[in-house]
Amino acid sequence: MTDMGKLSRRAFLKALPAITAGAAAVPAKAAGPQPHWAMLIDVGACIGCQACTVACAMENQLPDGSYRTSVLTYVVKTGSSAGTLMLPRLCNHCEKPPCVPVCPVGATFKREDGIVLVDGERCVGCGYCVQACPYEARFINQRTGKADKCTFCAHRVEAGLLPACVETCVGGARIFGDLNDPDSELRQRLAANKGRVKVLKPEQGTRPQVFYIGLDEGIERRLSASAAGAGFVGKLSEGAAI
Amino acid sequence: MSAGIVQVIETVRESAWLPWAVQYFFLIGLSVGAFALSLPGIALRLPQWRAISQRALLVALLCGLTAPVALLADLHQPGRFLNFYLHPNVTSWMSWGSFFIPLYLASLVLYAWLAVRPALASRAAEGGRAARWYVRLAYGGHESRGALAAAVALAAIGAALVLVYTGMEIVVLEARPLWSTPLLPPVLFLTALAGAAGLVHLLHRASGDAAREGARRLNAVIVATQTLVLLAAAAWLATAFSGASASHAAALAQIIDTPALVGYAAWALAATLAALILAATKPHSGLLVGLIALHSAWMARWTLLMGGQGLSKLGEDYRAYELALGFDGVLGIVGTAGLWIFLYVVLTALLPWGEQSTGLTGAQS
Repeated sequence: MTDMGKLSRRAFLKALPAITAGAAAVPAKAAGPQPHWAMLIDVGACIGCQACTVACAMENQLPDGSYRTSVLTYVVKTGSSAGTLMLPRLCNHCEKPPCVPVCPVGATFKREDGIVLVDGERCVGCGYCVQACPYEARFINQRTGKADKCTFCAHRVEAGLLPACVETCVGGARIFGDLNDPDSELRQRLAANKGRVKVLKPEQGTRPQVFYIGLDEGIERRLSASAAGAGFVGKLSEGAAI
Repeated sequence: MSAGIVQVIETVRESAWLPWAVQYFFLIGLSVGAFALSLPGIALRLPQWRAISQRALLVALLCGLTAPVALLADLHQPGRFLNFYLHPNVTSWMSWGSFFIPLYLASLVLYAWLAVRPALASRAAEGGRAARWYVRLAYGGHESRGALAAAVALAAIGAALVLVYTGMEIVVLEARPLWSTPLLPPVLFLTALAGAAGLVHLLHRASGDAAREGARRLNAVIVATQTLVLLAAAAWLATAFSGASASHAAALAQIIDTPALVGYAAWALAATLAALILAATKPHSGLLVGLIALHSAWMARWTLLMGGQGLSKLGEDYRAYELALGFDGVLGIVGTAGLWIFLYVVLTALLPWGEQSTGLTGAQS
C-alpha cells in the first residue's frame, strides 16, 4: 500500500477544501499593483453542462429565471451529420463599455482593474444600459428592480478566489486572470493561440475583455454552412481581438 | 432561424422597457405635436385656427402632464427619479431628458396660464363661491402679449429639446439596429404631429359651430404629416435596400427575417395609409380619422419599442412580447388613459378653455 493509500477518508476530506482554495487563489492573484482582469473561453472545452450557469446563480443569489452567465447551445447540421455548438456568454467587461455613457445617473462604471460594475444604491432601474449592451449581458433584476450583470465575481476575486463560473467549469473552458501578468495562464494561453483569438461583435467597437478560442475552425465551418450562421460567425470572425 | 442551425438552449431576456415606455413616448410626442398646433391660433393669432389651437393647447397640457407619470412608473420605484438630479451624467441623453422635460412642462404650463389668464379674471368677475380662487389664479388678469410670446419661445425651445432627446436616446443605441437609424427621429416627430391632430380632432368634434371648418384644417394637417411619414418610410427603405446606410440595411435585414415584426410594421403602415386616405377623401369627417391617426402614432411606437426589443442581439429567434394584464401591461396602459381623462375632467371643469372673453380668442381679443 502506498502512503496515499494510507490516508484516511477523514484526512482527505479535511485537506480537500484547502487544496481547492489554494488552487483557486493562485490564478486570481494579481502580479502587479494594478491587475486587469479578463477571461478566455475555450469553446472546444465547453461541454454545455451549464454548471457555470447554476454556480453563478447560486453564488450571486439571482431570482429564478435570471442568469448572469449561461451557455447558448446550438445544433448545427452539415450535410447528413449534425453537431453541437456551445457559446458560453457573460458580460464582456468591455474596454469601451456602451452601457457606461448611457447610464443617466452614472451608476454603471468601469473599475481600474477592468471590471464593469453597477452601483445598486444609485441605479434607478431605467433599463437604458440593458438596451445599450450588444451582448444581452444585462437584465433588470425582478427582485431589486435594478440593472444586474456579471461582476466577474468581484467579491470573490478581491478575496483571492476565482469567479464561481470558472471554479465550477467541468471542462476547464474558462480561464480567468490578470492581463497585466505575463506569467498568468491567461496571458500564456492568449499568446499560444495568437491569431485564433476572437471576441464577440468586434464591429461594435466595444473591445471586449472576454476572449474566445475554438470558434475559427470546425465550429466556424459548420456555422458558416447556413446563411444565418454565416452572418453570426462573420460577426465573431471579423477581427482578432489581440 | 435557418435550416442549418437550431438554437436549443437560450437565455430569454424580458423586455427592459415595458409598455410604460410606449405610453411615455406616445404622450410626450402628442404633447409636443399639440403644442405646435396651438401656435397658429394663440401665438400667431390666426382667427381661422383659433378653435383648433384652443383644443390643441389643452391636449398639449393633458398629455404633457400625464407622460412623466408613465416614465416614473417604468422606474419600478418612482422615488428613484431623485437620483437623476443628484447624479446627472452628461454623456447620457436620458440624463439630459430629465432636465428638458421639466423645462418644457414648466414653460408649457406658464404659456397655458398666460393664455387663459384674462378668462380667469372674467370668471372671477362673475362672482360666485369660487370667485376668490379665480381672482388669485388670474393674478390681475392682464393679457400680456409680450409675456405670452416669451413663454411660447421658452416652451418651443423645451419642445425642440424634448424632440431631440427622445430621438437621440434611441438612435445612439447601436446594439439595436432597428433603433439606431437616423431617419427615426423625424418619423417619430411626424407621427406625433399626426397623432396630436387626431386627438385634437376628437375633442374638437364636441366644440360646436366651428367644428366643420376645424375638421377640414386638421384633416389637412393629417394628410400632410401622414404623407411625410410615408415619404420618410420610403426613404428609410431606399437607403436600406441600396446599402447607402449600413444601420438601415442591418435594421431591414432583421425585420425581413422576423414575420412578427413585419406584421407589426404592416399594421402601423396600414393605419397611416388609412388615416391619410380618409382625411383626404372625407375632409370634414373627424371621429374615425382622428381615432386612426391617434392609433397610427401609438402603433408606430409600439412596433418600434416593444417589437424592437423582441429582436435578439445574440441569438436568432424573435421573442414576441406578451402583454401582461397587470400593472406593467394592460393596467398600465389603461391607467395612463384614466389619468389623462381625470385631468381632462379637472382642467375643463375648473378652467375657462375657449371662452369667448378669454385671451384664447386670439385675433378677436
